[in-house]
Amino acid sequence: MDRERFQNLIPALLLTVALLGFILHQVGWLQPIENVLLRLSAPLQEGLSTAANRLGDLTQAARDLRNLRRRNEELEAQNARLLLENIRLKEIEHETVLLRELLNFALDNPTLEVQGARVVGRVIGREPDNLQRYITLDVGREAGIERNMPVVTERGLVGRIDAVGDRWSRVLLIIDPSSAVNALTQSTRASGLIQGLPDGSLEMRKIPQGDTVSVGDTVFTSGLGGNLPRQILIGQITGVERKDYELYQTARVRPTVDFDHLEMVLVVVGFEPIEPTAEETVPDEQ
Amino acid sequence: MTIYLVIPLLAAVVLVQTTIMPHLTVWGIFANLPLLFVVSWGLLQGKKEGAVWGFVAGVAMDLFSGAPFGAATLALMAAGFLAGLGEASVIRAHFALPLAVAFWATIVYGLCFMAVVQIAGQPVIWWESLWRIVLPEAVFNAALMPLILLPMRSLYIRFRRDEMEW
Repeated sequence: MDRERFQNLIPALLLTVALLGFILHQVGWLQPIENVLLRLSAPLQEGLSTAANRLGDLTQAARDLRNLRRRNEELEAQNARLLLENIRLKEIEHETVLLRELLNFALDNPTLEVQGARVVGRVIGREPDNLQRYITLDVGREAGIERNMPVVTERGLVGRIDAVGDRWSRVLLIIDPSSAVNALTQSTRASGLIQGLPDGSLEMRKIPQGDTVSVGDTVFTSGLGGNLPRQILIGQITGVERKDYELYQTARVRPTVDFDHLEMVLVVVGFEPIEPTAEETVPDEQ
Repeated sequence: MTIYLVIPLLAAVVLVQTTIMPHLTVWGIFANLPLLFVVSWGLLQGKKEGAVWGFVAGVAMDLFSGAPFGAATLALMAAGFLAGLGEASVIRAHFALPLAVAFWATIVYGLCFMAVVQIAGQPVIWWESLWRIVLPEAVFNAALMPLILLPMRSLYIRFRRDEMEW
């Protein structure tokens, strides 16, 4: 009889344990347990992830085929435009170097802001449900990784380190709805806040009404708030929503990073994020 | 079915969910295998075992997830418990019943998950998440339900007389 009563109480007991776990997680006491379990499961995750990437490549190849012709035409046209722009930019770069020398900035390396030691991490796990956007890397504290460090690929900003273990780290992707990044458009210098949307796309919010935002313009990190380096590519504007009665404009942004096929990423360990204090009034940059 | 079998089984399912499933997307959505296993077992064995399987799979999901601990656990327990209310009738009932249960269990899972995330202080875009993520996922999960339910029925037939042993 007692055994039967205990069996009936099990769901209630487990519910209590789950609630207790939630509270312990919120105060950070579950971190050591998570550390141990993720450390144990990392090699298994890595193996499965490699297999999954290969499988994904195969299915993706079939899916991509129909888009390739259309994309090729677009890229050829874009390539012609970029060639011309490249020549122009090289001239500007040359001019910039001369100006820097004139302004006695010769000692400063213009690329220092995003330079620093970088750690290559392999993506070994992804978020198990569709509602959140995180990835797990196979590098952690032992490789010098710390919380809030920026994570990038050659194509742009991926996210920032959200949790770190000894040999793993978890990255909050910029496409997660809880992520917010201060950004600037390249040509018009319009500022705004890049936020993730549930469907995995990006939106640039809080763009002042007076600023000009145009479709096709590229978006970079602004460095405002000190949590991310400046001038890391985020994406390209695909649409602008402007209503006269609202204070701000909103723009849809297509990320340059292909978040569905991330395999290797770079963690910028040379950059020290600034933790804003309560008194500061910088916008919420995560 | 002994708990010593349930834990490795669900841990393996969650491992597949974190590594392989995100690559098998349809319009950006992938199926929630642990949820389908929990719902299937709940349908076959009742609300108590549905909740227990939900707890085990949920803890494993939470350990691999960046979401607040407890989000997947509470959501899967709720989904497993509710699925268990349709116990037994599933064998004789219309084949559409498990599909409908998988659909609504996914909705319940999504709502519970987002509620816990919101309570933990993270922003949740409710309407858009429901419309663009939870609803398509519910349809996807419902479509895949027979593929999970059939092997689970074999497991059920093998272990039907066994109470969960602790």
